[in-house]
Amino acid sequence: MIRFGLRLAVAGGREALTRLVVIAAAVAIGSGLLLTTLAGVNAVDAQLTRYASIYPQTSTAGAADPLWWSTRDDFFHGRQILRIDVAATGSTAPTPVGIPTTPGPGEFYVSPALRELLAAHPADQLSDRYPGRDLGTVGPAGLTSPDTLLAIIGGTPDSVGKLPNARQVSDIGDKPALPETTMNLILGVIAGGLLFPVLIFIGTATRLSAARREQRFAAMRLVGATPRQISIVAAVEATTAAVAGTAVGFGLFYAFRDPLAGIPFTGMPFFPSDMSLGPLDALLVAFGVPAGAAVAAQVSLRRVRISPLGVTRRVTPRAPGAYRLIPMVLGVAVLFFAIGFRPATSDGQAAVFLPGLLLIMAGLVFAGPWLTMVGARVMARYANRPATLIAARRLADNPKAGFRAISGIMLALFVTSVAVGVITTIVDNRGPAPIGSTDAGTVTTVFDETMPSVPDPLVAELRAISGVRSATAIRENPNIMDGGEVGVIACVDLPSAYGRCADGANVIEVPFGLSRWRESASPATVWPAASFTLDELQRLPVGAMVVGTDGSAAAVERVRTVLEVAFPTFWVGPNVPGDFESDFADTLRGWEQLANVIIVASLALGGCSLAVSVIGGLTERRRPFSLLRLSGAPVRVLRRVVALESAVPMLAVAAVAIGMGLLAAHLFLRAQMDYTLVAPQPRFYAIVVVGLAACLGVIASTLPLLERITGPETARSE
Amino acid sequence: MSVPLTLLGLLEREPSHGYDLKRDYDAFFGRGKPLPFGQVYSTLSRLARDGKVVISDVAPGSGPDRKRYIITDVGATEVEQWLTQPVDPEPHLQTVLFAKVVLALMLDRPAAEYLDTQRSAHLRRMRELTEIKRAGNLVDALLADHGLYHLEADLRWIEMTGARLDALRKEVRP
Amino acid sequence: MSIVIEARDVEFSFGQTPALRGASVAVEAGEILAVMGPSGSGKSTLLHCLAGILVPDSGEILFDGARVHAMAETARSSLRRDRFGFVFQFGQLVPELTAVENVALPLLLSGVHRTQALAKARAWFARLGLDGLEQRRSGELSGGQAQRVALARGLVAEPQVLFADEPTGALDSLTGEQVMDLLVGAAREQGTTVILVTHEPRIAAYADREVMVRDGRVNAPDRIAS
Repeated sequence: MIRFGLRLAVAGGREALTRLVVIAAAVAIGSGLLLTTLAGVNAVDAQLTRYASIYPQTSTAGAADPLWWSTRDDFFHGRQILRIDVAATGSTAPTPVGIPTTPGPGEFYVSPALRELLAAHPADQLSDRYPGRDLGTVGPAGLTSPDTLLAIIGGTPDSVGKLPNARQVSDIGDKPALPETTMNLILGVIAGGLLFPVLIFIGTATRLSAARREQRFAAMRLVGATPRQISIVAAVEATTAAVAGTAVGFGLFYAFRDPLAGIPFTGMPFFPSDMSLGPLDALLVAFGVPAGAAVAAQVSLRRVRISPLGVTRRVTPRAPGAYRLIPMVLGVAVLFFAIGFRPATSDGQAAVFLPGLLLIMAGLVFAGPWLTMVGARVMARYANRPATLIAARRLADNPKAGFRAISGIMLALFVTSVAVGVITTIVDNRGPAPIGSTDAGTVTTVFDETMPSVPDPLVAELRAISGVRSATAIRENPNIMDGGEVGVIACVDLPSAYGRCADGANVIEVPFGLSRWRESASPATVWPAASFTLDELQRLPVGAMVVGTDGSAAAVERVRTVLEVAFPTFWVGPNVPGDFESDFADTLRGWEQLANVIIVASLALGGCSLAVSVIGGLTERRRPFSLLRLSGAPVRVLRRVVALESAVPMLAVAAVAIGMGLLAAHLFLRAQMDYTLVAPQPRFYAIVVVGLAACLGVIASTLPLLERITGPETARSE
Repeated sequence: MSVPLTLLGLLEREPSHGYDLKRDYDAFFGRGKPLPFGQVYSTLSRLARDGKVVISDVAPGSGPDRKRYIITDVGATEVEQWLTQPVDPEPHLQTVLFAKVVLALMLDRPAAEYLDTQRSAHLRRMRELTEIKRAGNLVDALLADHGLYHLEADLRWIEMTGARLDALRKEVRP
Repeated sequence: MSIVIEARDVEFSFGQTPALRGASVAVEAGEILAVMGPSGSGKSTLLHCLAGILVPDSGEILFDGARVHAMAETARSSLRRDRFGFVFQFGQLVPELTAVENVALPLLLSGVHRTQALAKARAWFARLGLDGLEQRRSGELSGGQAQRVALARGLVAEPQVLFADEPTGALDSLTGEQVMDLLVGAAREQGTTVILVTHEPRIAAYADREVMVRDGRVNAPDRIAS
């Protein structure tokens, strides 16, 4: 029977072969995407593991000599540079990953991306920060991404041991990463957003021309084949196509892996070798997809197995009930509840939000058929045009079938809208300062150890840099416990761009950056008087230095380089407001980019699923449609039927999913961060429109088929 | 079944002896009910009396078989008229129809046209019956249906025969 | 009586296979004409040419003085939609629409407002003995009921010509005759010209006249005889 099934599938004439090829192609695309998703998850995991190895834990248990290690953040043109200072305490100290030897004092290694920057910019802007001998390049094993800016700088145990973040490490290795649970969950949700449409697509693809196949199987039943035999034949057919498709999918994946790795899905490109598949992933796809196809074939055969007469009369399936709304409503209620009641711990918050989000996700899919039905009924009631009436009736009759093809779109759009909503809002609240503002030109360094005063030559050197407008040393406020600002300066030292003193004040309280948390520097700011005299002020230690520039990159980087060389024990490199945040924002933007990829991919895939169901719907109604055309109905009426049946629910679902996603994002932000949702940028809508256009394009590609199969020949041949 | 017209028709092929006529009649139209010699000769002499056939030459000897019969113009016209005119559409006339078709083919006449004319006559009658059915009560309708179904059977036969005229022509005109 | 629709010397081929080889037929206004012939004779093709579905390779189709064979597809479509009605053998009802919506479909296609179209469609249900079936789907109707609904759909827009292609071909004799009875009654009442393609003599007997199509030509025995 298996051999017979194979023969039917492979040598069953042109039609069978075409079907086989089409299904295989669809499965190939689907499994290729599936593999890419899995490999992407692995790549992100690898990235996170390397990231963890850049920030090793203190480990002194081993017998080896420890290595002093300090990882600090530095910046260049708003990009993050990782600066690792190391010092071996003995000959058996471990060597950092990615370089052949531990650099000694006055020696360093840099990553290839940083090397390019060093070569491209004047020494006083960047390379002066790394005095000494360049030993070579850090290999991929020590980098999270080909774009990572990283420097490993040698020092003496004494000097490195005093640096901020310094720790002793006696064991360096690719320890399994401990990625933050939330990160993992976001990743899981996003993977789900892409996986679901892919699985739906594969499912629909294997059911291609199911009607035709059902007919054939019904005929086989009539001549005496047992249901078991039919099952085997169907399974063999579907599995053959799926196996071929999966094999091609593997080929596609490896062929496109390198270009795919180069796309900064997470803000940083992957190393192609990181986009790898574990044996488990490969086995899962290699066996899971064909097995899934066989199961799908069985499911679609259920009707035929019952009767050799095949599918007979069209009966209206039972209408879905309003109870389907319950999970979605519950999910929204959970998020609303979370605004009022916020658990103290981050785990507790996750325990409230994740079930809420998952409830909404599952609820959307569960409620979809009901929403489709209600929408279609309203449409049918007011329809005046025949096309609208036909489409609405069909959707209202079998909303589950109408919704099935678009459920993937719904999930993907919901997940991505939540992500984009949250990300846009966070980026908006924490992004880099606007270009040209005082903030954008203000470089601040906070000293790790305070000092009595800033040497005058340094101030002079700073002021000599072209573009520098002010250089202000800020002294520490000993009365910080009283609730005042952390710094104090003399009123005369306050550059006018950063505000003015309260009336009659000689000494004022200011923050280290000369602008308040979440506020911008402004000449209008009034700083309160501090309870010190000018003399007392002189005796307070200096805690920070603020240099105002014109905001040009050259000035900012020169200032930064001078400050770093002058105060090498900085905790974080001298930074411009937003440098630090923009690094975080960059990562978030990376996720946003990934969300965009998912939007377009899932919509295009959804389009394919829709096209398959459109073709099914057309074949099913081939005769009434072609007879309608004979009776004078213009083809455009039929085209409109197809468009309304597929595009309208798709667009409606897209709107609902995006709306629900943004609502969920808003509730999440309100509860978690006290932010109000910022509307996504036009780019997001543009991406959605591009995706929808791709989807509609795929649907439109079925229209020529409509004209062909409803031509006058149809009426003749039957 | 009209024996005189059938014999006349057979004679129109070629002048024949009475014996040949009987043999052909039995072969094509007798169907297990052979025509008695007596009826052949009495029919032929009646036809001769009416001027529809003439006796051509008499061979030496005695007995009816010495005579050869030839159809006259009068006889031929009668055959012509008989063939072209449809039979009254009523049940159980297959044999007449059949005889006409076979003879028409033997004589190289347009058998298909005869069939068409017959179909038309049948349909006209069917229309009348349908009209009665549509207008009348149930009894009328049922009676009309009886007629309609028999006529329909005839028509089916006409269709079948019409579709196989070529084959039949080969059979009857060796 | 005037001739309302006519085919003159129509030839039509499907690729290399000729279907009509100079078919001519003229139908008078209000006449019910049966087009008979064996399968493959070209009778359906003749109907499709007359109805402006197919364009003849040569010859003319005249409807109400208009040269149908020379019209563009859109013009022929609107002609079919607004002036002609159709009843096919089976399967012309859109499965997801209710019976009454199916009947209203030609009106909706011509731009009649929904309320009026449905009211007009409903009137046909009583007329054809379909009371109470208005909300049924095609899958919930018997063959005879479905054909009566199809008949109502063919006539609802009060067409000048109703084309019926084997309208009883999928029905048993009694049901078929009931449908024909209704068809003829309704057509006569409305004065609709009917062109009925059938191979069944009993169905053709409902017509005023019949023509035979054979080998792509039309024989009209009635005219030869008279």
